[in-house]
Amino acid sequence: MPFQQVNGLRFHVQQAGAGPDVVLIHGVTGDLSIWFLCKAMVTLAESHRVTAYDLRGHGYTDAPPTHYTSADHTADLFALMDTLGIDRACLVGHSFGAVVALHAASLDPERVSAAVLSDPYFPALRHLEDVSRWGHWQNFRQEASDAGVLLSDEHWYDIGKFFDQVLHLDGDCLLRFRRAVGLPGFERLMRLGQTTCGDDSKAVAGLTADRIADVRQPVLALYGEESPFLATADYLAKHLPDCRRALVPGAKHRGPEENPEAFVKLVGDFLNSLSIQRPANQPSITSAHSLTSTSI
Amino acid sequence: MSTDTDSQLLTDVARVLRDALGRDLPGGISLETRFFADLGLASIDAVVLGEALQTHYGRPLPFADLMAEIGTRADRDLTLAALVAFLRRNL
Repeated sequence: MPFQQVNGLRFHVQQAGAGPDVVLIHGVTGDLSIWFLCKAMVTLAESHRVTAYDLRGHGYTDAPPTHYTSADHTADLFALMDTLGIDRACLVGHSFGAVVALHAASLDPERVSAAVLSDPYFPALRHLEDVSRWGHWQNFRQEASDAGVLLSDEHWYDIGKFFDQVLHLDGDCLLRFRRAVGLPGFERLMRLGQTTCGDDSKAVAGLTADRIADVRQPVLALYGEESPFLATADYLAKHLPDCRRALVPGAKHRGPEENPEAFVKLVGDFLNSLSIQRPANQPSITSAHSLTSTSI
Repeated sequence: MSTDTDSQLLTDVARVLRDALGRDLPGGISLETRFFADLGLASIDAVVLGEALQTHYGRPLPFADLMAEIGTRADRDLTLAALVAFLRRNL
């Protein structure tokens, strides 16, 4: 079934394969097609039941006006897992989708067996990053500027401000901007721009540095070799008890697009290593759960 | 023979685009029409179109493979001729 009614919203969901559950979570302004284009959907489904969905406000899922923090998205995720009968899953998130994945892992170790974090930065860890290195942002800024939207570096992370500027473009500028980003991109931005998604994506929303460091399930911090967020990758590898770091060769922020083969192989290897390491009773996760529940 | 089939498949695609994706196609479509560049659709629309075409034909089709193939192309686009050929191969 491609659509599921959850938390009062209609969610667009795609599933493939059979086996242990894996849930794929795209980033802000993206949609689930990223997992089809990079072939994760086909490849991972060879040994897993793979579920991908469009986050609220994205793709073919409804766009309510508010509630876009990682905590809100996590509530959607768990409700969706309930509806789909997914008791426990490994989560694979890209960019902000990885923030959602780690937030979910932090809140419920029984439901989240492991997480792959593809190139996120975390609102609570923003101080780690030298934002000027984010080439993705610089490119985006250039595109926006060509289309008549001037973005200050001071607001590099401020999608809310960007949405606000786009909403207030007038005739000619609006036309130029629409031409530059293309119609689907434009429609997507206009829809999201009328929600609190931009500001909410910057909110810590309970996923503090302490909570991040307390995630004990196996975590793969999977970053582009030239990612702007490598300081975050190092931080995760250093502070999380069971986190390994891997780099996607030649990729910047968008590993699934920039080097899909390597990206999917690294994710697949990690998933396979989980089934080898923890075939049945998963002792380290059980103990992690008791520790984490007392800290909630 | 195959031209007749292609034109029928193209008609099916146009109908599903209209009914499932709510896309009117005022300029019409042809085999040369490009999914993204000409119709202004996004890759997520291709996923939903794939789902809708499977419902239309009442059978599973390897759309995930087709999407993965698009992901490897330089222009990341799909002509309706390629979509029709895909349907002809798999129906």
